[in-house]
Parts: sequence; C-alpha cells; structure tokens
Amino acid sequence: MFSPFFERASVREALGAFALISVAVIFNLTFGYFSAFFAVYLSFFEWDYIGPMKFVGLKNYELMLVDLFKGMSGASYFVSPFYTGLKNIILYTAIVVPIQTFLAIVLAALANQKIRGIQFFKVSYFLPATTCPVIISLIFIWLFMKKGFINYALGYVAPGFQPDWLNDRNYILLAMSIVAIWGTSGHFFVSFLAALQAIPRDIYEAAMLDGAGPIRRFFFITIPMLKPMITYVVVMGLIGALQMFDLAWVMAGTGGGPGGSGYTLAMDIYNEAFTKLRPGIAAAKSMFLFVIIFVTTYVYQKKYGGGIR
Amino acid sequence: MKNYEKMIAKFEEKYPTIEVKYEVITQMFHENILASYGAGVAPDVFYVDTSWAPTFIEKGALYPVDELASPEFINQFYDFLLEPFRGKDGKLYGLPKDWSMLALFWNKKLFAEAGLTSPPDTWDELLEYAQIIADKTGKPGLAIYLGGFNRYVPVALGYGAPAPWFEKPGDEAWFDRPEVKETLIWYINLYREGKIARENEGKTPYVVQPADVGAGWLGDAFGKQEVAMVISGNWMIPFLADQFPDFKYGEDWDIAPVPKGPKARATMAYTVALGINAKTEHPEEAWKFVEFILGRDGQHELVVKMGHTLPSMKGLEESPDMWPQHKKTLSFKYDKVLVFLWGPKSGELEGKISDVMAAAMRGEISTDEVIPTVKEAVSAVLGG
Repeated sequence: MFSPFFERASVREALGAFALISVAVIFNLTFGYFSAFFAVYLSFFEWDYIGPMKFVGLKNYELMLVDLFKGMSGASYFVSPFYTGLKNIILYTAIVVPIQTFLAIVLAALANQKIRGIQFFKVSYFLPATTCPVIISLIFIWLFMKKGFINYALGYVAPGFQPDWLNDRNYILLAMSIVAIWGTSGHFFVSFLAALQAIPRDIYEAAMLDGAGPIRRFFFITIPMLKPMITYVVVMGLIGALQMFDLAWVMAGTGGGPGGSGYTLAMDIYNEAFTKLRPGIAAAKSMFLFVIIFVTTYVYQKKYGGGIR
Repeated sequence: MKNYEKMIAKFEEKYPTIEVKYEVITQMFHENILASYGAGVAPDVFYVDTSWAPTFIEKGALYPVDELASPEFINQFYDFLLEPFRGKDGKLYGLPKDWSMLALFWNKKLFAEAGLTSPPDTWDELLEYAQIIADKTGKPGLAIYLGGFNRYVPVALGYGAPAPWFEKPGDEAWFDRPEVKETLIWYINLYREGKIARENEGKTPYVVQPADVGAGWLGDAFGKQEVAMVISGNWMIPFLADQFPDFKYGEDWDIAPVPKGPKARATMAYTVALGINAKTEHPEEAWKFVEFILGRDGQHELVVKMGHTLPSMKGLEESPDMWPQHKKTLSFKYDKVLVFLWGPKSGELEGKISDVMAAAMRGEISTDEVIPTVKEAVSAVLGG
C-alpha cells in the first residue's frame, strides 16, 4: 500500500541528491581532473596559445632538465631560475612543515585545557586561517619593513639585530616562512584539537598516578597518540608548502626578490607559461613538481603513516 | 573608466546594429588576453602594448588593419608611433591609442630651498643637483626605479650608444660598447652610492627608490614631495592633478626636458595600440569601433579633454582643450625619441635586464659582474 509512495519518494530523493552532488562533481571534473590531465597532455606539445599545438614528444622535458643542469653547474639565478626556485622551495618546506606542525600541536594542547576564556584563544588561533594569504602577505610586508614593527620589537629582544627582511637575500625566505607558519598553524590546530579530544582521559589519569608531569605526558602520551593526525598534517603541509606561490608573488615580487632568493618553483611555472609563453615547458615543470610532491608524501606515509590504515 | 562607457554609448547610438561588450582587465593584462586566445574566446578589440606587439604579430593573433582602414586615416597618425605595430611583412597590425614620453619633473619649492633656480640640463648636473638638494633640504634629490632598463636607455643614447636591439644571439654585444658599460655602471651607482653608501655614512640619501620614501611609484613620491625630481611620463600629469590638487603646476612644480649627454638628448616614448583579433567574426564592426575611438573626435574626447596622455594623431595637440603640462612636454627638442621596443621578446628582455640591474643596485652583485651577467641573461633569452 505504501510502496508506490516510497518508490516515488526515493526516486525523487535520489534525483535531488544527484542534482546537489553534481555541482561539486562537475566543478571537480572540470577544474580538477580535466586540468590535471590536460597538463599532462600539454607537456608533450609546443604551443603559443594562438596557433595550433605541435606534438614534440619529450622535448619539453629535455629542455627542463637542461635548465636544471645549468643551475646545478653554477649558472647565476638570472639564467637558471628553475633551479633557484627548486632549491628555495625545498629549504622553505624544510623550515615550514616541522615548525607549523609542532606549533599546531602545542596550540591544540593549550586550547584543550579547561581554563576560562578558552573560546577566545581558539578563535584567535584559527583566525589567520580564514584570511586571504595575499592580504596577510601585504600586512606582513609592512611589519617586515626595515623600520617596521618586527624590527622595532626585535630591538628589545635582540638589540643590534635589525635585518632588512624583504631586501636582504639571506632573510626573505625566512620572512616568508614565518608568515606561512603564522598563517597555517591555526588551520592545522583545529585538526589536532579534534584528535586530542578523542584521546581517552584514563590514559592521562594512569600516567599521573605513575607520577608523570605535564611535559612528560605531552611527549610520551599526547604526541604518540596523535601520530595518525601528525601524518595527515605533515602530508597536507608538504603539499601546500611545495606548491607555494602567493606569498612569494606578493612578498618577493614577480622577479623573485633580492638575488632570486624568494623565487619558487610554482612562480617559475607561471613565468614559463605567461612571460616566456612556453606553456608546454610549464606543464613539464609542473609534472616535475607533481613527482616531487608525490614521492615525498608517498615515502613519508609509507614510513610513518601506519596508524592511518 | 566612465569615459569609455560614455564613448561606447555614443558609438552604439551611431551604429544601432553593433553591440559593444565592454570588459575591464585590471591586472596581468597580456596574460589574460593570451589565455583567452588559448580558450578560443579572445575579444574582438583589445590593447596591445609595444613590448608585446611583436609577439602578437608574429603569432598571427592580430588582424592587418591596413586592410580595413583607408590610407588617409592611417596617414593622420605619427609615423614613429606606427612603427612598433608593423609586421615583418610590412603590414600594419594596430593603431596607437595615445602616447607618452619621459620628461623631468622638478619641485620648484625644494629647488629654491636648495638655492637652485633652474632644472639640470645634463646627466652630470642631474647628479650634482640631487646631491645639493639632499644636503641643503634633507630630502633626496632624485627618485628612480630599481632596475628599469627603459629608464636608463636615454642615458646610453645621450653618450652616443645606438638604440638597443636584441633579436638574435650575439646582439647582447650592445653591452660591450664602452659608452654603454660606462653609463650603465654610472646609472647603477646612482643608487649604490646615492642611497646605500650615503646611508652607511649616516647622511641623507640623494637618490632613492619610491618604496624608500613610503611611496608606491615615482608619481606618488613626487606628489608627496618626498623627492625633488623624477623622470617619468605624461601619465603622471593627470595623477598629480587628481591626487595632489594643492601641489600646483607652474607654481610648485614644473616640467623640463630629460637631461642630455655629451652626444645627444634622448627620451623614451610609450604607446599602446588598439588591435583587432585575427580570428574575429566581425572585422568590419570591430574596425568601425576602432575608427570611432581612435578618430579625431574620439581622441579629442578620451585623450585631449581628459588630459590623460598625448594624442597619437597629428594636429590634435593644437586643440585649446590640450592641457598646458602636456603641451609643454611636446615643446622640448630631442635628438632622439625612442619608442619602447627592444626586439621580438621585449617584455621578457626588459624584465631580465631590469632584474640584473636591480641586483647590482642593491649591491648583490659587484659592478664588475654587471656587464657579464646582463649579457648572459640576454643571451639566454635570445638563445631559446
């Protein structure tokens, strides 16, 4: 008696569901999968956007490797920006990922305490994650100026240490790293907070009975129990850091800043595509970046990601 | 861009069968246009900068306008402004919308404070005056850009160098010319000595870049009266009138010719064309629009009356609506007016050479390294 009604309802429900999901699926297919596969396809072609595409086999990859070897054999930044970008982004990732992960854990552990006004701290930690990176970079440009707030504050902490953050090639990458750490720790903090709240309280109680203090509890209980989440955060952090573009574009400028020390691989891909008008080589370079990201995250997960599965 | 919308409304009134869709690209203009070509949705009519013109022409992106325009119409434009838009086949691929040239802008009040009465006439005087102003007024005498190859070229021409042209490997030998070597180092030292060395001595710098005085660009630094001189183009004139109405032309500041060298007085000219998409489905309609905007009435409305820049059609500068500041820039006598174009890869070359110059100005590479590095960078661009 009810079945026709239910059947009709379920069909309608299914239609509604598909209609709602399809929006996301279509966006993902066009801007995600189609673009990704088109980039693979493009990397085998020579093209100038205007004329027809010409198949050139592996020539784009060859030109990319030539660029890389030129840099490795000591050519200056002006001639081998690809190598400079690669070198910078590896250093940047090595600075940013460990610190942002550790800081996010510490913030989460602090926010997990039962103290008054904790909601305020939670909101303030997360706020940077909701702000557009370009705006963050613009604000930090002001803070990092030679006579800006950061050097003013440093004057009290470390007198005499007044680097020209944005115009000194030894400091610009560090300045960008600091902004990235500040901006992303809050984002990952939320993940850790959720993971922390899932740790059974009795483990801590047992440890307290055995006389473990807060520091020991943090290092011997909290960190090991967070291992699966740490793997996730490190992997996401690696992917984000290796692709970094926006901070460098704004803080170092399109040319990569002093001595190219703020230049990144993603910026070189952009310049290859739109300044040199060689989208094929740009695609080949993005395949190279993809391989780096894939290998690093794969190796990391293989080694430390046991807890996830 | 209200004025454009007004002109479009007038156009649509005159040609009721043609509809104009107006889109503004605020940033990364040429990147956007190229991407739209790639996607097959490029606009019918768009701006083409001189430095990008060879790329667009060579790749067959532009419609030859001499197939649409009458010779009489084309003859009304200044010849030297048409040159950058001519292809190797001799055809014309765009008509200049307007143009600007460099001139020296000087702050009369700061000059008077420093005891100076007239603007510098030679490059040596420019440097000398900048130092006097810094010492006497505590404000830097001159602001320049870090890098900015096109701003340096008038110095090289003034000392007898030929116009730079980089097309094939080997053309980077331009930098080996003694007058180029000497003037390029001189230009780089403006900042190395005028800013960095002076500050190390604890003195007011006599040369700065806009950011050093909290300004976004040369016009901003000059308008805020943080520096006494800048060399910039006509585009600065409406900006000053609009942003700094209390800083008055004639009373507070004036315009002078770009300084000369021992061999010549040279300046740079900048122009942008309205080009028509080679693949347009409506060449006739697109042409009618270009003709309307660039024609005598269009330029009078958009360029002359608005005081934006200089009209690209001969004779329009005689109009009573022409701003006196612009008129004055046209009255200067130059031995050479060079349109911004360094060869088929102008945009990329300007960027690369400027990067090396900026690195040298900041002191990251020594002055001895400048010439070899710049040659290496240029030959890398030319070689592929």
